[in-house]
Amino acid sequence: MQKDINRSWFFRQPQQEVWDYLTKAELLEQWLMKNNFKPVVGHQFQFISDGLTDCEIAGVAYCQVLEVVPTSRLSYSWKYSMKGAEISTDSVVTWTLHEKNGGTELHLLHNGFTLMEDVISHTDGWVKNLNRLTELLNVPGHVHTNA
Amino acid sequence: MSTQTLDVFQVVADPSRRQMLLLLSKNSLTINSLAENFDMSRPAVSKHVKILHGAGFITIEDIGRERYCTLKQDGFNELQDWINYFDKFWTNKLKKLETLLNNKNKSK
Repeated sequence: MQKDINRSWFFRQPQQEVWDYLTKAELLEQWLMKNNFKPVVGHQFQFISDGLTDCEIAGVAYCQVLEVVPTSRLSYSWKYSMKGAEISTDSVVTWTLHEKNGGTELHLLHNGFTLMEDVISHTDGWVKNLNRLTELLNVPGHVHTNA
Repeated sequence: MSTQTLDVFQVVADPSRRQMLLLLSKNSLTINSLAENFDMSRPAVSKHVKILHGAGFITIEDIGRERYCTLKQDGFNELQDWINYFDKFWTNKLKKLETLLNNKNKSK
């Protein structure tokens, strides 16, 4: 099971310019989502999507800034709640920027997804059996012996 | 609430349904034997089973006079789809950022 999202992207623009688009709320909004981001560790903010553009699912990402290294590294927690759903996903988004060939290489890591785990954490007995469940899911075509 | 409109997260959000998945992760069970584990009416159990079935979490097989429920992988694959969704999401967003930056520089 794929657990991480890894994406590298090259921009011809200098690192500072790409950084600005990751860290200035009004610039972020132009390509990502409406937000109240500030590049301050501990700052809590939200990305809000009405679901009307880019085939997004309407919802809110509840975030908190975890790390800021100006122009080179930015990380925040990302808890996405879909509109109308009781369950959300916990995860972490990390941006890393490097100077490359006169432009900028931007790397995105979106990981730490807790999906079933998120659900499971609400039920005691469920946790103990997570390993069993994982085993089952990792065996394709598993057949129950007493079916 | 119709069973069709429940997404995978809503399906597993219910404690009874999680408990059912848990029981089924150990064994295939008939709807009757599944119902014995719950303090709810048989129709209520059937309704949850129908929801689990509709979301691809279980298969239901008629053997003799009994209906057997077995854990299925599809429902869990949908959770994987959530990660795939964000993968596409970011790719689209990064393309948008690229276009934005390129257009901005052209117009300088």
